[in-house]
Amino acid sequence: MATSYVEYRELTKRFGSTQILHGINLQIEESEFVVLVGPSGCGKSTLLRMTAGLETINSGEISIADRVVNRVRAKDRGIAMVFQSYALYPHMTVADNLSFGLKMNKTPLERITKSIASAASILKLSQLLKRLPAQLSGGQRQRVAMGRALVREPEVFLFDEPLSNLDAKLRVGMRAEIKALHQRLKTTTIYVTHDQIEAMTMADRVVVMNDGRIEQVGAPLEIYDRPENLFVADFLGSPAMNLLSGKVVHNDGRMDFELENGIQLPLPDNSALRSDQQIIYGIRPEHVAFTDDDNGLPVNLTLVEPAGWETHLHADLSGISLRLLSVERVGARPGDSARLAVDTSKLHLFDPTTGRRI
Amino acid sequence: MNRQMTRTEESTLRPEPGILQDWLGRYRRFFLIGLPLAFLIIWTMVPILWAFLASLKNPLEIYESSTFFPRSPSLAAYQTVLAIDGFGKWIFNSVLVTAVATIVPLILSILAAYGFARYLFAFRHVLLLLYLIPRIIPRVSLIVPLNDLMTDLGLINTYWVLYLTYIASAVPLSTWILVGFFRAVPREIEESATIDGANMWNRLRHVILPIAWPGVVTAAVLCIREGWNEFAFVLALVTETGMRTLPYALYMLKDSMGVQNYAVYNAFTILTVLPLLIVYLLLERRVVESIVSGAVK
Ligand SMILES: Nc1ncnc2c1ncn2[C@@H]1O[C@H](COP(=O)(O)OP(=O)(O)OP(=O)(O)O)[C@@H](O)[C@H]1O
Ligand SMILES: [Mg+2]
Repeated sequence: MATSYVEYRELTKRFGSTQILHGINLQIEESEFVVLVGPSGCGKSTLLRMTAGLETINSGEISIADRVVNRVRAKDRGIAMVFQSYALYPHMTVADNLSFGLKMNKTPLERITKSIASAASILKLSQLLKRLPAQLSGGQRQRVAMGRALVREPEVFLFDEPLSNLDAKLRVGMRAEIKALHQRLKTTTIYVTHDQIEAMTMADRVVVMNDGRIEQVGAPLEIYDRPENLFVADFLGSPAMNLLSGKVVHNDGRMDFELENGIQLPLPDNSALRSDQQIIYGIRPEHVAFTDDDNGLPVNLTLVEPAGWETHLHADLSGISLRLLSVERVGARPGDSARLAVDTSKLHLFDPTTGRRI
Repeated sequence: MNRQMTRTEESTLRPEPGILQDWLGRYRRFFLIGLPLAFLIIWTMVPILWAFLASLKNPLEIYESSTFFPRSPSLAAYQTVLAIDGFGKWIFNSVLVTAVATIVPLILSILAAYGFARYLFAFRHVLLLLYLIPRIIPRVSLIVPLNDLMTDLGLINTYWVLYLTYIASAVPLSTWILVGFFRAVPREIEESATIDGANMWNRLRHVILPIAWPGVVTAAVLCIREGWNEFAFVLALVTETGMRTLPYALYMLKDSMGVQNYAVYNAFTILTVLPLLIVYLLLERRVVESIVSGAVK
């Protein structure tokens, strides 16, 4: 039948009179690793919890492995979920935490023992089986939470910000481990995060959500290189894309972009543009560079933030603020003047009224 | 173990203080915690201790001497109490009624509290407030109507009258305590159990109750205390000697003894209080253990 493994069709959700999800349509392939990103409160967790069977569905359908699961109970949906808080059973040892689900489902004891041993060895928990969650570090608790999902041998893994309680270093490590685990098990995974790096590095496909709607779906770099609308352009990337408003002007047969302060920036040939058309001119900070060319844009540097291997800078272009990012060491200081060049092959142009990419 | 180690590490890192500071620092815990605690313990223990010592004195010694300790301690008063006709029956009554008035309310209120804590049904807040009414109304004002009602029902001087009234007064108390403890169990833990395939009963039994265990013990202790010490209802609804509970019997003892025998009176008091103290200490230990082990946060 259909090839998609998890499918949402016109899914909506209300809490009281507040509409939280407005008709979600999404198809996830078997063994795909899909990451949901979006600002806080956009409904990521709600969507995940509806998939898990922890929230009711107001309208629309969710199907998992070609079976509509709207009325299927959580335990029978073939899913396993890892919560941000880990939600371990605090009164049970690690071993009991891992085996609880199997016991509830009346799994034979031998199988339980085998499953636990295998999950424990995959997640390096073998030494910790007799401990209580309170006696574990954050990273170890995280592993137990994953182990508990693992022993269920689910068809779909659901992760809700599983790493956000870990410190930065551990997070990077666990990120790689989860990814490696996925490559090994090939279990379809839906992963919620609001960490862009996690989204970019882990996902086969990224789903960008905003205010209960899907804004764009695509491979991480595809979305980064070609955001379909202003929201996605602004949301993905750190430091964020420069989004400048102004209009298209004709200069002896050539098109240029004129800022509100009258300064003009180059535009590539684009037949879709008309003279005097209002547009948003988007350029990522890494596509703005210093130049020796006297025709470069004259700016004053207002902020220089060395961040190790890269430097974030803020520049003032006659009252309009620009962000730029340089991977070379920058000797300049705030207050210095400089000239900038924009890589016109990397521009993103948007229609200010619809927010759509031109 | 771990915690203590970090504490010593911290103190070795602290800069060298002056002698006075050093002395204050070392004994700070004694002054801030030890001294008030000692005071509290004395404050609460002295009456019981006094009653205990008095129970060991001979009948006249209490009047004639101002000494605290008995001159020649004797257990005669206890023998007298134990020999009182009906004492065994009163203990039996107290134990029976208290047990029923603890177990039944606990079962009822565990179920009720789970509902209040987890389910979003209409009027649950109002209902929870209404639940408190039996405890807000002064018990004395209930006595006359209850007496009329129970007389009509023909329940006066039966265990049923005590079961009914004791349970009715214990259920709201333990429900209120348990609602708080159950609500404190993170919802996601229960959701994990749901995904793990636990039905409502299994979630309650294997997840909620073990985590909220200190709450259950607290509710149990309070139910036991209420039942054991209950006085107004038994006074109003029981007239037969054989149906008395210990507090009622103790109250009646004062009138029944010709010469005011304080040693016997105090021995009776100690025997009434003792079971409660033992139960309390035993259960208290369990709560502390579960908190220390980290099973409950
Ligand atoms: N049980 C609930 N009752 C009412 N409103 C809710 C409930 N759960 C979530 N909401 C609302 O639904 C919206 C989406 O919440 P959700 O938790 O899905 O956001 P999220 O995208 O996961 O955000 P975050 O990144 O902060 O976790 C929020 O506005 C939230 O206030
Ligand atoms: Mg969330």
